[in-house]
Amino acid sequence: MNADKILDAKGLACPMPIVKTRKEMKDMESGQVLEIHATDKGAKADLAAWSKSGGHALLETREEGDVLKFWICKG
Amino acid sequence: MAGKTAIIASNGTLFDAYKVYNIATAAAASDHEVAIFFTFEGLNLINKEAYSQLAMPEGKEGIAEGFKKANVPAIPELVEMAQELGVRFIGCQMTMDVLGLEQEAFVDGIEVGGAVTFLEFAKDADVTLTF
Repeated sequence: MNADKILDAKGLACPMPIVKTRKEMKDMESGQVLEIHATDKGAKADLAAWSKSGGHALLETREEGDVLKFWICKG
Repeated sequence: MAGKTAIIASNGTLFDAYKVYNIATAAAASDHEVAIFFTFEGLNLINKEAYSQLAMPEGKEGIAEGFKKANVPAIPELVEMAQELGVRFIGCQMTMDVLGLEQEAFVDGIEVGGAVTFLEFAKDADVTLTF
């Protein structure tokens, strides 16, 4: 899936993946897609909830080994 | 703003600091307006001398290794992030008077106020938490 930006949040514990995602998304335009790589297992539920509460669309989630990948479209 | 979160921090161990700051930064990162009222031992969490070397709860000292392994951010790092995200820090005036501490003893950017200052913020909060 194509992304406008990639955020490497691997190795970071809660709440850092969310805080970093928010920081990246703030500088992006509506409709742009951010790809996030994380190893914090909690990020799976957290990024889904964060997207929902912020009006963003979580397009896809993938697990590649220990790495969780997310694609979020800014609302 | 997506919501409003009001937190009372009234305990001062490392565990308490993580409970308070993780929720506060997560809420702020979710566009909540956030304020934390630091009272009694909770003042440790913003005390310049104390906040970078908070003690583990008694009997839990062995967990220090777990914190390192999980790569959780240091407390001063979380404090900086919370402030960057616009979290309001309110130090309890009464506790400061009792302990003989001035505002200079605490991290920059805090407000000092009484219970009513916090209540005014918390009265229409969506989420209210005490740690």
